[in-house]
Amino acid sequence: MKKTFFSFLSSLKLTIILLIIIAVASIVGTIIPQQYEGGESFQHLSPGLVKVFNSLQLFDMYHSVWFIILMGLLSLNLIVCSLNRLPASWKLFSTIPSPDRRKPFEHLPPESVILIEKDRNEVINSVENRLRRKYKKIRRKDADSITFFYGEKGAYSNFGVYIIHLSILIIITGATIGSLLGFGAFVNIPEGESTNTVHLGRQKGVKKLDFTVRCDKFSISFYDNGMPKEYRSNLSFLKDNNVILQGPLLVNHPITFNGIRFYQASYGTTPGGLAYITVNRENTEETTLKVKQKDSFYLKEKNATVNIVKIEKNFMSMGPAVLLHIQNPEGTVRIWVFKRIEQMRDRIPDLIKKVPTFNPGRYKPYYFELNRIESNYYTGLQLSQDPGVVIVAIGSFFVILGLSITFFSSHKRLWVRVDDQEGKSRISVGATSNKDPVGLKRETEYLLRHFSSMG
Amino acid sequence: MIINTTILSWVTFIYFGSAIFYIFKMVTGKEFWGSLASIIAFIGLIAQTVGLILRWFESYKMGIGHAPLSNLYESLIFFSWTIVLLYLIIEWRIKSRNLGAFVVPFAFFSMAFASFSPNVNARIQPLIPALQSNWLISHVITCFFGYAALTIACGLGFMYLLKGLEKGERPRLFFRLLPGREIVDELTYQSVVIGFIFLTLGIITGSVWAYSAWGSYWSWDPKETWSLITWFIYAAMLHSRFVRGWRGKRMAIMSIIGFTSVLFTYFGVNYLPGLHSYF
Repeated sequence: MKKTFFSFLSSLKLTIILLIIIAVASIVGTIIPQQYEGGESFQHLSPGLVKVFNSLQLFDMYHSVWFIILMGLLSLNLIVCSLNRLPASWKLFSTIPSPDRRKPFEHLPPESVILIEKDRNEVINSVENRLRRKYKKIRRKDADSITFFYGEKGAYSNFGVYIIHLSILIIITGATIGSLLGFGAFVNIPEGESTNTVHLGRQKGVKKLDFTVRCDKFSISFYDNGMPKEYRSNLSFLKDNNVILQGPLLVNHPITFNGIRFYQASYGTTPGGLAYITVNRENTEETTLKVKQKDSFYLKEKNATVNIVKIEKNFMSMGPAVLLHIQNPEGTVRIWVFKRIEQMRDRIPDLIKKVPTFNPGRYKPYYFELNRIESNYYTGLQLSQDPGVVIVAIGSFFVILGLSITFFSSHKRLWVRVDDQEGKSRISVGATSNKDPVGLKRETEYLLRHFSSMG
Repeated sequence: MIINTTILSWVTFIYFGSAIFYIFKMVTGKEFWGSLASIIAFIGLIAQTVGLILRWFESYKMGIGHAPLSNLYESLIFFSWTIVLLYLIIEWRIKSRNLGAFVVPFAFFSMAFASFSPNVNARIQPLIPALQSNWLISHVITCFFGYAALTIACGLGFMYLLKGLEKGERPRLFFRLLPGREIVDELTYQSVVIGFIFLTLGIITGSVWAYSAWGSYWSWDPKETWSLITWFIYAAMLHSRFVRGWRGKRMAIMSIIGFTSVLFTYFGVNYLPGLHSYF
């Protein structure tokens, strides 16, 4: 029982089945929108289906329990398979076959046997010299009138495949460490504001950083044809109100602070934007304020608070407007302040009488003017901390190394026999290789050409 | 029309001619057509190289200089360039012109798609912020050399299956002219190995780039996922050869299945939501 389970774990069949299941699951994952891509995409699914998908964790499939189990099984299969085959490879690597084997010389093609008109001992010496120069683990065996040689190269190529498997396991380990100990998060910071709280991506919830990030400015520039050229956030990183690091954050140029990498991920405009309002007190005093939605300011003389309730770029097709709620002990006064109030009055002379809330001088003795509205950008930052990256990078490097060894090197074993034939010296060369028969043929041809040139 | 696109649309016709002559060669067995096809393909490759270099220069003249590897049009051109380059190297090494009829048409289709599809914009466009990276060139080059080698493996797979149709003691000339089965099988294997290594390099360079652009070296974006699926298919193919000793017909079928996955990684993914929206 135990044995059959082990052989199932180490079977190529299991590998293929797992690869197919993982591949099919991954395909499903690319079709069903994943949670972090934004939730609105599964609105067209029926609630029942959403429930089923939810219970199968299909909206976060690549991190679901069953996908992780599949990956775990694949790793286990990889380990067991590799361990299973390792002893045979080790034997191939370490044992040196005897030089006087018969099999390598059976069925030799005629071109692998050459005759040389030279003394046998001389030939043997020069064959041995050549082999020692080009091959490793040279063994020699002298019989009555025959001398055998064995030599090999590229024995390490037997381990290429284990390097690949091991480095894939290293990558999986790095990825696991990253997902257990690291985090991914995002945060939107409007220009001029700062925060130390970010929203976690997959893990959900918020995370408090032990420093503060401030967005000093966000800017976009465009090419002549209107395509975006650059997104730039000027960020400041603060600890205890001291700026520790300052710099521009660009796409493809992340900033690392305190071990956390910051990426320029998105941007947008805050609802409303920025409004420039001039508060005029009976033509004697005039102040211009820069306000955002939900801002408020205080009118000392009347003990009133002015709340900026709404900033509209184009309110009821009458252009930019700001809605103020002025609160004082007697109650609340509502005023819509329009930028183009003069033109509106020209068109409808009794506008203010009809709609008192459109009267910019409704709250006496003040008179409000809206100068302009500007977009107020926020920058969308992505944060990540991933202690597994170094491990994954090392694994990737060794994958390439392992692939090169596996496919571009081969274990070539060579048997050479020197004996006498009709007064001439006869050299026979037999060779095997674990792969690359073409390269092996080229190599023996080269060697034979060298041997025949000494005659 | 700018000069580079004119040259490149002419290359489409050159590759079409080359593909036709390779097919002539295969059907008639006359070496003349094969030599003609090779020469034409070589001329096409040189013209295409000149076209790509001119396009590169023109982008600098426009003040938005970048390698011509930045949108679907440019990637299709580069794809066919790598196919023809790799093919001519193989032809030169194996000294046989029969494979051309199975490979050069792919280069022609890619060029035709780039030149004539209304959905493919041939204009030189500036690089959007996400593409402004030194990794662009190495990522695209490794991926497309991988795709090209796997395309050639697919052509070899078709050739092997066609060869399987031959019957009887004395098969028709047409079949006798195709290279031997072992040679086709070995070439398929070698092409898959080259493709697999480049695909791996493409995935790794892509991860490094993603780590500096998207905040994570792996985001399960559809293109990433499909490249992994493709990688799995070819990994399975190589394992069944090494461990199970699968050869011949099964390898041929797997090289075709693998290629459909390559095609989906390249084109199909564009219809799924994801981060790789520029290709």
